[in-house]
Amino acid sequence: MRLSECTEALSKQVWRLRRKPQPLSEYTDLSDFRLKHSEHKNPVYQAFPGARAGRAFLYQNTRPVSEKTTSKTLSASKIHPPRGLVKYVRLPYDSVMRNRNTFGQNRERRHMGLLLLTGAVVALAFVCLFVGSSNMTLSECFSALAKKGTAAQNRIIWNIRIPRVLAAIIAGAGLSVSGLIMQTNLNNPMASPSTLGVSNAAVFGANLSIIAFAGGFLSTGNNVTNYMVGANPYSTSLMAFLFSALSILLILGLCRVRSFQPGVVVLAGIAIGSVWTAATTILQFYATDVGLSAAVIWTFGDLGRATYRADLIMAVIVLAGIVFFSLMSWRFNALLSGDAAAKSMGVAVNRLRFLSMLLASVITAVCVSFLGIIGFVGIICPHVIKKLFGQDHRVSIPASALSGSILLLLADTLSRSIGNGSALPVGAITSLLGAPFFLAIIFGRKGGRG
Amino acid sequence: MLEISDLRFRYSRHSPTVLDGVNLRLGDGEIGILLGKNGSGKTTLFKNILGIETPSGGSIRFDGENLLRMNRRERARRIAYVPQDIRFGDLSVYDTVLMGRVSYFGFKAGREDQEAVERILQEIRLEEYASRSVEALSGGERQKIAIARALAQEPRLLVFDEPTGNLDIANEQLIIEEARRVAKEKGIGILTSLHDLNQALDLGDRFFFMKNGRILSSGGSEIVTEELICETFDAHVRIVEIEGKKYIINGGNQK
Repeated sequence: MRLSECTEALSKQVWRLRRKPQPLSEYTDLSDFRLKHSEHKNPVYQAFPGARAGRAFLYQNTRPVSEKTTSKTLSASKIHPPRGLVKYVRLPYDSVMRNRNTFGQNRERRHMGLLLLTGAVVALAFVCLFVGSSNMTLSECFSALAKKGTAAQNRIIWNIRIPRVLAAIIAGAGLSVSGLIMQTNLNNPMASPSTLGVSNAAVFGANLSIIAFAGGFLSTGNNVTNYMVGANPYSTSLMAFLFSALSILLILGLCRVRSFQPGVVVLAGIAIGSVWTAATTILQFYATDVGLSAAVIWTFGDLGRATYRADLIMAVIVLAGIVFFSLMSWRFNALLSGDAAAKSMGVAVNRLRFLSMLLASVITAVCVSFLGIIGFVGIICPHVIKKLFGQDHRVSIPASALSGSILLLLADTLSRSIGNGSALPVGAITSLLGAPFFLAIIFGRKGGRG
Repeated sequence: MLEISDLRFRYSRHSPTVLDGVNLRLGDGEIGILLGKNGSGKTTLFKNILGIETPSGGSIRFDGENLLRMNRRERARRIAYVPQDIRFGDLSVYDTVLMGRVSYFGFKAGREDQEAVERILQEIRLEEYASRSVEALSGGERQKIAIARALAQEPRLLVFDEPTGNLDIANEQLIIEEARRVAKEKGIGILTSLHDLNQALDLGDRFFFMKNGRILSSGGSEIVTEELICETFDAHVRIVEIEGKKYIINGGNQK
């Protein structure tokens, strides 16, 4: 016996690897051994990555018929049972156990997935940077990126496109993560970043700023003349944010009375949101044509409004949110087992729910206030991610953030390339792009878990 | 270990009293069984002990400490819960059990947490399931995983709400045996509710008959009488004794 084998034999679990194949009793739950796809012509069993060597037992009905010793390399790859004979395969013990400190079953797959998503964000950011209406060539873009192009080109890249790309990455991540957190906290797949009436309130705030105060002491942000004159372009954003914040505080304050029961929060959000919408309608009824169109245009999400300062503010808040949510990911996982179970595991459910809904809503409020309404990101992305990566928040939080960035970058690139000079509203494109993909994921067999 | 005195609870000021002065004592490693009709306040009592609901009066002491003043994480390290309706996210079995350690590690699981989980999975013979998704498992297996998760909290007391609610007979026996093992081998006290009276008699050390938010009577199996069951459940049964063990048979002397 070689030395390595001796140490192997000494290891705690080795008796399990050495044990004889036992017949499966009638009461054994066969789901452990069942073929994943029984209709599959050549069933293949895969041990988990990093699995140790061991014996895989092959069963015909409940009788063990043969065994295959899997070497280190083999077990890490695949076991091909003889066709038509084998009904169940029991994999070596270690091949199943070797997953400590992992993202569960598919550690490698999930890490790889996160890496891929990150790569996609970076790649798309460059694509987004190089696509535009000014017909710059790739080399011109690169030299402008190095600040070595013409003055105009440098300005296009550094003053227009980079803030825009950053905004897409930040807002996409923020909206998507907010959506995920809302869905977890409210235990409701329909919950979105603006469940607390954030968007409706922001629209009202912006409308108020544009319609009521246009040309007055505040600028409209979209009114070119005011903008050129140099009035504060942030005032509309500020008003939008103030009203979103008001809405958040109102709803969270109200729901505190009912200790944040998910159903109550959702209904309160709908009610308060409709109040804002009604107020907006009344305001618009009295608006001038110019004011009305300016106000309506504001509601179309537009990444072009982003400036470095706006990006910075959004980045700080979104980053703070993602860090906080990531720290809480085990608690969110516990929340998936229901409030009572989470509380019994030591999670302060009410406080967690309050803080995370507050933060998620503030993220949304900031993004919406600067960029206008960008819908659907917060619903599509988390759902796609949950289907692909599972619900474990250690993975789904970063993955949702990345996928949100991807969707918004894609949507923005598309909106600027098909808009023929003027960018189409990015919010509409996200839905157009996202919805078919979303449906495919939900109804598709592959990749679907539920 | 657990001492409850004069515990009162109602959901709000205007709703009726659910617990109306409950007194209960349970020792180390004892299996206490609450018996009572649906709606007699068993689950509510559990929720009060676990800190899911806050009592409106009375006291709960655990090893002499006031449980109502204890913070949530401290409490979770002493008392664990296996709920009636078990729900998990689609995590792996391993991660689900690791979740039970959250009151120890807070943000990120450490080495000792992982070791605890592996030990428990082996103990409860679930190691082969470790990397499977909990969603793919059957009711009995899910119940076992919920027990494993509760054990990962390394509690002194396990609160077990209707453990055999919707299990088939094989799984029912499995879970009952598991509960017995936990109490006898690990010295963890168990407080549970069961509908099957024979099962209760077989498993329990102490019995608490509950009606309308009160404990009618408590004690060892000697307190179980036809009259008490009739009073608690409004149902007629007969008790027969075979080889010193009591068995309860449906039907009896109707008035």
